[in-house]
Amino acid sequence: MSDDVILRLANIESNYGPVQAIRGVSLEVRKGAIVTVLGANGAGKTTILKTISGIIDPHKGQVWFDGEEISRHDPDWVVRRGISHVPEGREVFPLLTVRENLLMGAYIRRDRDQVRGDIERMYGYFPILKEREGQEAGQLSGGQQQMLAIARALMARPKLLLLDEPSLGLAPKLVKEIFEIIKRVNAEEGTTMLLVEQNARIALTTAHFGYVLEVGRIVMEDSCDRLLQKEDIKEFYLGMKADNVRGERRWKKKKQWR
Amino acid sequence: MSAVRRGPLPGDTIARKFCNAVRLRESRVALRQKEFGIWQEVTWREFGEHVRRIAMGLAAHGFQPGDVASILANTRREWTYCDYGILCAGGVSSGVYPTDAAGQLEYLCSDSGSSFLFVEDDEQLDKALQVRERLPRLRQIVVFDMEGLTGFEDPQVTSLERFEAAGAEYDRMHPGEFERRVDSRGADDLAILVYTSGTTGRAKGAMLSHRNLRCVMENFPPEVEQSEGDDKMAFLPLCHIAERMIGQFLSLETGSRLNYVENPETVAENVREIAPTIMLAVPRIWEKFYSAISIRIKEATRLEQWAYKAAIGLGYRVADLRFAGRPVPPGLALVNRVASFFALGNVRRAIGVHRTRLALTGAAPISPELIRWYCALGVDMYEGWGMTETSGGGSLNLPFARRLGSIGKAAPFNEMRISADGEILVRGDNVFMGYLNQPEKTREAIDADGWLHTGDVGVVDDDGFFRITDRMKDIIITAGGKNVTPSELENELKFSPYITDAVVVGDKRPYLTCLIMIDHENVENYAQERSVPFSDFASLCRSHEVQELIQGEIDRVNAKFARVEQIKRFRLLEYKLTAEDEELTPTMKLKRKLVNEKYRDLIEGMYSQTA
Repeated sequence: MSDDVILRLANIESNYGPVQAIRGVSLEVRKGAIVTVLGANGAGKTTILKTISGIIDPHKGQVWFDGEEISRHDPDWVVRRGISHVPEGREVFPLLTVRENLLMGAYIRRDRDQVRGDIERMYGYFPILKEREGQEAGQLSGGQQQMLAIARALMARPKLLLLDEPSLGLAPKLVKEIFEIIKRVNAEEGTTMLLVEQNARIALTTAHFGYVLEVGRIVMEDSCDRLLQKEDIKEFYLGMKADNVRGERRWKKKKQWR
Repeated sequence: MSAVRRGPLPGDTIARKFCNAVRLRESRVALRQKEFGIWQEVTWREFGEHVRRIAMGLAAHGFQPGDVASILANTRREWTYCDYGILCAGGVSSGVYPTDAAGQLEYLCSDSGSSFLFVEDDEQLDKALQVRERLPRLRQIVVFDMEGLTGFEDPQVTSLERFEAAGAEYDRMHPGEFERRVDSRGADDLAILVYTSGTTGRAKGAMLSHRNLRCVMENFPPEVEQSEGDDKMAFLPLCHIAERMIGQFLSLETGSRLNYVENPETVAENVREIAPTIMLAVPRIWEKFYSAISIRIKEATRLEQWAYKAAIGLGYRVADLRFAGRPVPPGLALVNRVASFFALGNVRRAIGVHRTRLALTGAAPISPELIRWYCALGVDMYEGWGMTETSGGGSLNLPFARRLGSIGKAAPFNEMRISADGEILVRGDNVFMGYLNQPEKTREAIDADGWLHTGDVGVVDDDGFFRITDRMKDIIITAGGKNVTPSELENELKFSPYITDAVVVGDKRPYLTCLIMIDHENVENYAQERSVPFSDFASLCRSHEVQELIQGEIDRVNAKFARVEQIKRFRLLEYKLTAEDEELTPTMKLKRKLVNEKYRDLIEGMYSQTA
């Protein structure tokens, strides 16, 4: 285990009642990296993030963050350790203004002056939010809400940002824009990111390292450059099918994960 | 259940036998297959109608007696319909493994000169379309399942439904043609081609005549008889002689029902639903069932573990007495029955063998320990031996003539003996006609006196029980000059629930080493239970604890062998292999020669470092 691993999951099993969503997941995130977890619906991606941020307690296994064990603690305790969660479906406070939403993100901070500066920085990344500063968040478009959710999470100055499907329900152009900003934040602020995505193409071109999750277990891990070259990734996640003699194909190859 | 055959099913060819079976059995159930989750029955009459329409469909498309047709499909009822359809049309039927790649399909179709090809679905059709330009003799491709092909039009491709309809029409227009076709062949004509898996070089097409097949069908030992009351499960590839003979052809001869599994992945569930009364499987399947149970016992409560241990202990005592041919004291027999009923009944049900009165194993070597375990469990298991070239028959252990670790005595229909250099030889009507297009290979296999040289090295004891030591070409001679039979070590290793297959290496080497394929599921659970972090398959293999686990299994096996026969080092194969991979035979055995070449670096690594 090298020193620059900031997050480590060891043999995590999490259930929703009797339903086991993850069946033993071990993964590592290095400091300053963007790491992605790919998987189909129901593979257990969101459950991993929820287990990290303390919304779900794992049935088994440990989560280590920055040298200490953080599993089985309350979410607010975890946030104070430096982990912010951008939930699936944005979940902004609809009746608060954009600015108020951002202030909610800084709830745990006491350094008011710097908070003000950070809000300006967020407006630097997301100029549209400045324009809408006084507007209720519920009136923003989906893409703007996603930007707000990310900015709000960054307001806590997290060491690790958990991103749950930021591309959900957004137009391709917006998706591109948001991922450009995610990359910039990572490069400029050095924020480590764990990104869960269904849009494999954008995730693999954004992240440095990736894991593939299938029914609650990791079946593949590698650098994103190499993952993009794998046959199974091309076939099952990027929708690139080798052309066949008939010009169409219904049957699926067997996944082999190699 | 006593089941004495009233004499063989009349007919000197498979086609005539089939027609007689349909006439004699009419409304009895011939086979079952699941459709949309429900087991559907097919009577002999319906079975006969399908076969007749397919035979006539072939005739309508210009198929002549003596022509060859190939079948490329998983084990399902249409496979059998087509097999008999081809034979009833006077043709020769040849099977292709559904896991074969397009290139292999091309070779098999061109070597056999197939003019018709039956394929299962769009996936298999795509293989055929890829290579059809290089198959000038191929006239028509018939597809069983047209799902996903509704918009597809091609003059050379038709659905089985349309093909059968054309056959019915042709039948109406040409009365007597079907009967003429059935009668066009004699007992000594070629009936089927079975391509041997070809672990060395390209596959060879073994030619089996009607007489060859009949020899085994009609003379299968009556002690292990099948009858119309029996249920069997068809799940091994039908192009392999084991399922074709013991499953399909013996069902024709005896009327036992064949139940087709949904697909190769659902065997474990289907066996519980079918609860076969007779079951033939390859060792790998028996090993899998055993591993599943041993893992479950480990996870059971103390009381359950105690009950299992006590009951299986009694079972072992009874089984060992039986193997020794000694009487079982009535007291012990009674206690065993009670314990077996209460404690082992659930284990048998968990596997699906609770109705099984006869379990057969063959096609690959099996650990005697495994046979002992099944017998202790109350499932009578008999090891047999046969090969493609002997029409699947050869030798078999029988209820009152069995010996643990042996392949039994020679079956009544063939002679067996050991040659001067230790090779097992077989002679009888079941010995094949030869390899198609390869007369030299045929001459190497069958000598002037009609003895088939099997390539298996073995010994025979005074009572006539044969024992196989190894394949002739597999015997390892270490640099120290010691002869080692790798399969003995490998079988012991495979007995471990954590090891699926192993290849022992060491020919002309200072010591023995081993390549191991782990059981993914069981090892994964082992690691997760012990909180060993891992992500993908390779990282699982590399983890220290898994290496230790396998080392422990190797130590356990090593303890049973002399020092020079012990495995000094091992490596795990870090890819999860599937049936599509060239490393595995269709019956999921590692191909020794290929593995030796492909993993040369891995093997060299075990010899380069000095301990």
